[in-house]
Amino acid sequence: MILEVQNLHKIYKNGIHALKGVSFGVNEGEFLVIIGLSGSGKSTLLRCINRLIEPTSGKVIFLGKDITHIKGEELRKVKTQIGMVFQQFNLIRRRSVITNVITGRLGSLGTFDSLLEKFSEEVYNDANKALETVGIGEKAKERADSLSGGQQQRVAIARSLMQNPKLLLADEPVASLDPATSNSVMQYFEKINKELGTTVICNLHFLSLVRRYASRVIALKAGEIIYEGIPDEIDKNWFKTIYGEEAEEVEIR
Amino acid sequence: MKQNPILDSHPQRIIAKNKEREAKYNLVKAILLDIFFVFYTIIAVQRAIYYKFILDLRELPFSWGEIGIIFIISVIIGTTWALTKTSLSCKLFGVAKDNKVTRWTVEIFGWVLFNVTFIAGWVVTKLSLVDLFSAEGIEGAQRIFGALFQPEMGIFDDALFAIIETIYIALLATLISIPPTLILSFFTARNLMRDNKISFAVYYILRIVLNFVRSIEPLIWAIIFSVWVGIGPYAGMIALLVHTIASNAKLYSEAIENIEEGPVEAISATGANKIQIVWYAVVPQIMLPFLSFTIYRWDINVRMATVIGLVGGGGIGTMLMQYQGLARWHEVGLIVLMIAFVVWVMDYISAKIREAIY
Ligand SMILES: Nc1ncnc2c1ncn2[C@@H]1O[C@H](COP(=O)(O)OP(=O)(O)OP(=O)(O)O)[C@@H](O)[C@H]1O
Ligand SMILES: [Mg+2]
Repeated sequence: MILEVQNLHKIYKNGIHALKGVSFGVNEGEFLVIIGLSGSGKSTLLRCINRLIEPTSGKVIFLGKDITHIKGEELRKVKTQIGMVFQQFNLIRRRSVITNVITGRLGSLGTFDSLLEKFSEEVYNDANKALETVGIGEKAKERADSLSGGQQQRVAIARSLMQNPKLLLADEPVASLDPATSNSVMQYFEKINKELGTTVICNLHFLSLVRRYASRVIALKAGEIIYEGIPDEIDKNWFKTIYGEEAEEVEIR
Repeated sequence: MKQNPILDSHPQRIIAKNKEREAKYNLVKAILLDIFFVFYTIIAVQRAIYYKFILDLRELPFSWGEIGIIFIISVIIGTTWALTKTSLSCKLFGVAKDNKVTRWTVEIFGWVLFNVTFIAGWVVTKLSLVDLFSAEGIEGAQRIFGALFQPEMGIFDDALFAIIETIYIALLATLISIPPTLILSFFTARNLMRDNKISFAVYYILRIVLNFVRSIEPLIWAIIFSVWVGIGPYAGMIALLVHTIASNAKLYSEAIENIEEGPVEAISATGANKIQIVWYAVVPQIMLPFLSFTIYRWDINVRMATVIGLVGGGGIGTMLMQYQGLARWHEVGLIVLMIAFVVWVMDYISAKIREAIY
């Protein structure tokens, strides 16, 4: 088991109780997809896993180590092993694609060298390889904000590949992309999962994408897990429980 | 924290408790503000309107005893008034009862405050149309404007040298301010400093110091430094430098506070350390605003350097003051025209540069 989440609660400072006792485990090599309405706590859950935020109570166990409340250097070392991809790409707009990719390696580079932006041959090679993996090797020298949304998200994936992550988190990685681009970006996650064996946890909105890529699904509603199983078992009834009575399923191919 | 915080801190309860506490604080604030309002009204009516305007006294009688009595009266009236929750301040802090009495007091007292302030202001500034349009006044104006339009060109080269000095004072103050301002701005940006208690304390103290320095006008700094290092351009430059650092640090740090959080989050999620995060996710986002603020500040400093010269900060201002003291209006005319020209040119150049970099 690569990740174990036990009875996790998160209460934000403003009193919002975003996670109410979430428990699940993730095996190595899984492609776990988390679904749920807006505000159900999907982002909060991912942020608790890679400790961008600190859970209020409960446990997060990563590679057998309790990381729920670790701090400082120890936390930094754990973060280097978990990649994360965001809905808004979150690239440094004014810098080149290759620099953006290299920032994924910062956690294991010296502070001084990284301030001077002196990177070894090996780092450059890895960065180019990561870009090739996501199929945009030729864009290395271009400015990040000159790329299309789909390409920017691929740069973000390449950045997380630089971490050689044991676990890759993705928070609605295709929510701001059009359907065709969504599919092509999702295929890179699939490739990383299948070829590199990286465990993936991904928040998604569209059930058609879920059916196609997920090996297992967890559905959140108001901070609680209401469904756990394989994607094919989500029928009409489950769909209505998860998304509400009025919801209609839309297709995305 | 260790056991189960869920049970004893039900979200709804926390929110309700916070609201209650806030209402209490606001009532205290309202009482204090009401006391101030009443005190202010009585003092303004008594001193400005009654003594100065109605009795037309030259020397205002002053005694601490009287002020003390007025203050005690204000405390009594203000407190009782605020405690009825129908006062102006209660309304301002949102703790007032919603009824007719509140609406009436707010309206009437609002009017009283406004009128008292306006009339007192009129009296204090000695506003007088008579002076503005008296024969004597008009003559003085003609003399000044006449001289302005017949500038004495004899001192042109002196004035030119002085104005160049002014520009250099401004330029140097701006350039030297950049490194310290940069460093300070990172330590006064809330989003970078809020993580732990020590850094937050540093942030807080620095903010207070900078606010204090900034609230003292460059003119006053110039007076201080002309005593400290002696009258002349050096005093003027340091005065501008101090004020530039304090005000630009605020602008810079606000730019840092307004950056997009996304890249910061993404880089910190890779396990980068604090310095790396700042360098890769913060710095690229603030380069342009910083440059633009700095250029704009140079432009402001040229104007301020002129004014600072008036109190001995060197440059064209000092020259202006000398000729004005001698009532040599034609020379003053030349200097004023040159200042106007340089300020206009600087304004234009800095606007153009700022446009170009965006
Ligand atoms: N930083 C925060 N401070 C306070 N409340 C927050 C914060 N972030 C999220 N919340 C609240 O927590 C709840 C869960 O939010 P979260 O972002 O985890 O939902 P989500 O499932 O990711 O939704 P979406 O699909 O809109 O991204 C929401 O009610 C949200 O308003
Ligand atoms: Mg979200």
